[in-house]
Amino acid sequence: MTTRSRATTVATHGAMILLVLTAVVPVYWMIVTAFRPEIEIFSLRLLPQQPTLENFAFVLTAIPMLKMLGNTFVMAAATALAQILTGLFAAYALTCWRFPGGKVVQSLIALSWLVPFQVTMIPNYVLSTKLGLLNTTTGLVLPNAAAAFAVLVLVNAMKSFPRQVIEAARMDDAGHWRILWEIIVPNLRPAIASLGVLAFISAWNEYFWPLLLIRKIEDSVVQIGLQMFMTQEGNQWGPLMAAATLASLPVFGLYLVLHRQVIDSFMKSGLK
Amino acid sequence: MTDAVAPSAIRAPARLLPRVQVAPWLYLLPTLAVLFVWIYLPLFQSFQLSFTQWNMLPTKTPKPVGWANYRNLLALPELRQAALNTVWYVVGLLPLSVVIPLAVAILTQDLTGRLRNLYRALIFIPMIVPPIVAAVLWRWLLNEDYGLVNHIIAGLGFPTVKFFQNPDIALWTMVWITGWKLMGFSTLLLSAANGTIDPGYLEAARMDGANRWQITRDIRLPLLSPTILLLVMMTVLFGAQWSFVYINAITDGGPMGATTNIFFLMWKYGFQTFSAGWSATAGIMTFVTFGLLALLFLGLSRKVAFHDN
Repeated sequence: MTTRSRATTVATHGAMILLVLTAVVPVYWMIVTAFRPEIEIFSLRLLPQQPTLENFAFVLTAIPMLKMLGNTFVMAAATALAQILTGLFAAYALTCWRFPGGKVVQSLIALSWLVPFQVTMIPNYVLSTKLGLLNTTTGLVLPNAAAAFAVLVLVNAMKSFPRQVIEAARMDDAGHWRILWEIIVPNLRPAIASLGVLAFISAWNEYFWPLLLIRKIEDSVVQIGLQMFMTQEGNQWGPLMAAATLASLPVFGLYLVLHRQVIDSFMKSGLK
Repeated sequence: MTDAVAPSAIRAPARLLPRVQVAPWLYLLPTLAVLFVWIYLPLFQSFQLSFTQWNMLPTKTPKPVGWANYRNLLALPELRQAALNTVWYVVGLLPLSVVIPLAVAILTQDLTGRLRNLYRALIFIPMIVPPIVAAVLWRWLLNEDYGLVNHIIAGLGFPTVKFFQNPDIALWTMVWITGWKLMGFSTLLLSAANGTIDPGYLEAARMDGANRWQITRDIRLPLLSPTILLLVMMTVLFGAQWSFVYINAITDGGPMGATTNIFFLMWKYGFQTFSAGWSATAGIMTFVTFGLLALLFLGLSRKVAFHDN
């Protein structure tokens, strides 16, 4: 009996450790390569013998890395904020009113998720050109200013909010605007925060739309900067890994502090 | 006094009005405007574009060609290859996004305590790695001459593998990178679902003399089926789209179109060869195909949800 359960324990931890190594080793190798001096780039040691920052220094002079990190931060924060705002309004309308067309609208919002970006990219690109949005952060944010998953997550959160509280507030002559901001939003703070984190990470990692919209490296987000850097510097592995590490730093930082919330919010909203 | 009367005087007729409410539509307006301008209208415009020929120059107008794009594309070996590759992407992803995570979730169900939280936090990491960073780091790890993986392969006495240049392997390399990002996430999702199974069922089955495998097959798998179906649906509907970054950044669809899937082909037609009509045609055909698949899945998931009751 004990040997059997011990075997199970070994198998359990074995499976998990294998999965952990698969997940972590590639990321570890990226970070460690970033700190290796040029003569150690091809070394297989787990730690560099003479760790150096020269790769990072090279990246910072070769491409406008800090500018791009700034651009990406502004873009991701604005996208997350916009998705929360539009999502709150839409979710409030869908949960606190019954009106003809409400169900249809909710389906239309949910179904928008099924339209692949590659299908709409040419009209979107043409429209952005006409509106002068090429190479602008506004152009990056606008198409993502509302998201189906944000609306649906907030609809679910609001549905579980006790209706009596809202009705009591209506009795007290509170307007909808006030109910939303003074009663619902403060109570949904955890849901809103986790949605914000999720939206920020998704926007930070966004690749396709910036690839089309941004042609100048100074205006670019870090994802596209990294792609351009890879095309230019192909096999400069040290600097390339340093650039990749910098490009994922904010997301890793966020994860380090909030990993439990990040995992929960990803799982709640499904894949994205 | 008058102050107190005025507001209710204004509100009273509003209650008597027929129920055409403006307010909900005002609250919905921002979301609907974004979705209309950036998704539904462009979808319709792509549909229109699919019946035209246009090189995307603003000075030229799209020239109507009827169904010619559809006829030409369907006869094109390049499109057939991309469509078939799309199927392979999905088929290749399923083990990584569903089968392995399911096995791990069931195998590790008894795990508790602090170690479990550490595992959770670590296996989730690939999910938050920016896709282009994943492309860059796997390009390094799988490098033909100096990559860690080929060092290990050579150390074990095998010939090194050209992960990105060999047309028979390159697609599976792209699948691996895509799946690598999903594996931990799927495992956690399935573990969470597994954890919510009522222990009473399992206890009752154990009392009846059911062994571990029978419990897994007859109780856990049926109760996990809604989550499994969700993951299968996600993989089928979005798996090939998620691969786009890696194809774009690493192989550019090559070698010889071996890694080109339908989403990359659309991008290539649109922004490399500037044939907007073809891109839109491929887009509409893809959208319709995946739309039908989505309907199928929604129907299935309703059945499964019912079965759960």
